[in-house]
Amino acid sequence: MCRGLALALLACLVSAAHAQPATYRIDPDNTRVHFEIMHFGTSTLRARFDRLAGSIGLDRQAHRGELSISVDTASVSSGTAPFDGMLRSASLLDAQGSPQAWFVASRFVFDGDRLASVDGEFTLRGTSRPLSLRALRFTCQPHPTLQRELCGGDFEAELRRSDFGITYGLPFVADRMRLVIQVEALRD
Amino acid sequence: MNLRTPLIAAGLAAAACLVQAESATYAIDPTHTFVTFEALHFGTSTLRGRFDRKEGSVAFDRAGRTGRAEITIDLASVSTGVAPLDTHLKSRDFFDAGSGDATSTAKFVGERFAFTGDKVSEVAGTLTLMGKTMPVTLKATHFNCYVNPIFKREVCGGDFETTIARSQWGVSYGLNFGLPDNIRLLVQVEAIRQ
Repeated sequence: MCRGLALALLACLVSAAHAQPATYRIDPDNTRVHFEIMHFGTSTLRARFDRLAGSIGLDRQAHRGELSISVDTASVSSGTAPFDGMLRSASLLDAQGSPQAWFVASRFVFDGDRLASVDGEFTLRGTSRPLSLRALRFTCQPHPTLQRELCGGDFEAELRRSDFGITYGLPFVADRMRLVIQVEALRD
Repeated sequence: MNLRTPLIAAGLAAAACLVQAESATYAIDPTHTFVTFEALHFGTSTLRGRFDRKEGSVAFDRAGRTGRAEITIDLASVSTGVAPLDTHLKSRDFFDAGSGDATSTAKFVGERFAFTGDKVSEVAGTLTLMGKTMPVTLKATHFNCYVNPIFKREVCGGDFETTIARSQWGVSYGLNFGLPDNIRLLVQVEAIRQ
């Protein structure tokens, strides 16, 4: 009887432990934010941000989570130095006036057990707009070498740069911008 | 008659010039030409990298629906945004790109251009990497020609993609512990008419 109660109590404790939200810190070596923009209706320009930081709080049982990630706009990298200079300038990312762009989300949308999207607000050049990141894949598993849980996946989103006041080069360089986000985060 | 013959000859010569003018040479614009690769990292997320130094040219006859493309990529210019990863990719485990010899480059030669209407839909050819040459077909997801307002010249280009199995070129590092063999290549190309 006592043993049964103890087991039940233990089961409760274990399930409570599972239900507790865990915190994960973004691994900058395996997290990238790329953007893609159509150039003269011909080919896709790509660039990424090399410095970023962020964290994820995730309660997989309760299907809840929160995420924040910020990128240094000056760390934009296209592979062409003069173009990086243009991207950092006041007419585009304005890296001096707006050194960071960030995404903050507190709505994790699940389809069954599958994470479908992370909905939040994106701030670029001081303008905040709602943004939904579609999850293309998302998994949690033990890290292959570190003794910690690793969660990560691929996300994408689309926005119009003119919504954030970035109109330089329109319409030759498209308004529509696709964000391609690789995320890996290690449990604290 | 005397008057007409040279006129006809001139007309024929002009026609020949026009036909010749259809097949033009385009130089790769390195600021709008990039090869980006994608690899799934331990089944979790997709790692992207690109190569920053490249050169090449395209001979392209839109009316005759033929073309030939050659693009050479400096493997030592690999850029992932993470310096230790770049160093590892340049090492013998992957590209062995420090030696500066021919194996430090990847070369794509496209010799068979397929068209849908007047747009290139596919370029089939070979990729030489690590001294091995294997067939590769790039599928176009976009293709267009436009007159660039800055150069005042015609620019043709597009987006192409393909997936290769890296082990075919002998790049097998990590296959035994879960790094993927299949690598997706995203190729942005723009080339300026010379």
